[in-house]
Amino acid sequence: MATSDSIQRARPLLGTIVEIVAGGAAASKLDEPVDAAFDAIAQVHRLMSFHDSKSDVSRLNREAFDRDVAVHAWTYRVLSTALEIHRYSGGLFDITVAPLLQRHGLLPGDPDESFSPAGPSSAAGCIELLDGHRIHYRNRHVRIDLGGIAKGFAVDQALAILRERGVTRGVINAGGDLAAFGPQPERVYVRNPANFDRRFCEVAIANAALASSGRSFDLVRGTDRAGCAIIDPNGRSPVRAVAGATVRAPSCMIADALTKVVMIAGEQSIALLRQYRADALFVLESGDVRITPDWQAAVRFAA
Amino acid sequence: MTEWIRWTAPAAVVISVSAPAYAVQYLSVEEAQALAFPSAHFSEIQAGHVWKASTGGIFVIDHVIGKHLYIDFAVALEGGHVRRVDILAYRESYGGEIRSPSWLAQFVGKTGASPLKVGDDIRNISGATLSSLHVTDGVKKILAQYGNLR
Repeated sequence: MATSDSIQRARPLLGTIVEIVAGGAAASKLDEPVDAAFDAIAQVHRLMSFHDSKSDVSRLNREAFDRDVAVHAWTYRVLSTALEIHRYSGGLFDITVAPLLQRHGLLPGDPDESFSPAGPSSAAGCIELLDGHRIHYRNRHVRIDLGGIAKGFAVDQALAILRERGVTRGVINAGGDLAAFGPQPERVYVRNPANFDRRFCEVAIANAALASSGRSFDLVRGTDRAGCAIIDPNGRSPVRAVAGATVRAPSCMIADALTKVVMIAGEQSIALLRQYRADALFVLESGDVRITPDWQAAVRFAA
Repeated sequence: MTEWIRWTAPAAVVISVSAPAYAVQYLSVEEAQALAFPSAHFSEIQAGHVWKASTGGIFVIDHVIGKHLYIDFAVALEGGHVRRVDILAYRESYGGEIRSPSWLAQFVGKTGASPLKVGDDIRNISGATLSSLHVTDGVKKILAQYGNLR
């Protein structure tokens, strides 16, 4: 709840309802930083939306094979990180699965049948990062979608703006992808990925980010649907064995992206999690839970 | 692999805890008006729904159904464009409680001055992406209806 030294606001952005709590100063001094933080999120939305024909992502998908396309520094940074995680995950995190998502009805538009991601070499090999924030596609059929990472980046940008402007305690929650900073840990309730009407566990986070992915809701458009919006680029079909995953990481962009890898790779994702100083828990179809050891103490299961 | 701690199928336990009812009052109508059009006076055009700002601009409040319950939101229009959208109140409930009149009654007549106490301690939820689709549609509808008002 908002108190005299904190405010709580929400706006519809990124296809979800984004909530910001800011504290540590008189409430009257907090509106301006919170507005600026929402503006940053709105800008990420404009730059990286797959649906908006004027976004950097749409311009890249239309033109980057024919010519080098200059993008905003933020888009460039998200692309660089996405390609880095693509490499480190052996191709499991793949921003070029847009045509597959279209084929499964998870993104709008007609898929280009002639392109399919081909595992580790696909995205990294097809997308060239050039100087001056320019991008070039080596393959005519590449279509990127930053839906698996941009929301986390937006949360990080908003958080940085709150900090820059003197806010000392804050939580930014973009429909479940969230980050918190301040002197006190924040309690977060994680829903049961197999049944969102149920609470699953409670996690304390301090100066860290948390993101969750599950099978039964649409990560791309934020609507409920029966299928899974996460595609295994190797099997080229929606993920089955893991019902849901939650990742804690130093940044929300990393947490957001790594949930997709954990959904696909399960226990095999341990090395990647360590590399990014991240923790995870995931739930299998059977209801069994796996959790990284360092995180065990911070997680309390509903019982 | 031995690196992971395993919790074996507490499935019965896991599904026994109902997600809590959740309700947040972010802004009163007056607070939202002041944020959208600072230092303006407001004259009501449609009672409780549409206001005109003395500094120029239209302020509209409306609600849409979220997952099960209403989301109240405010739209500030200026020169036929959406200047700002704020969520005023968000409510969510699951299972049986939504059908209980006494549970629903607690939302009636709530304002910023009498904030909701439901699920007070539960501020952050991860693991479900709340759709803003209905809000986005609601904003478009308001723009179409009132965009030409000056």
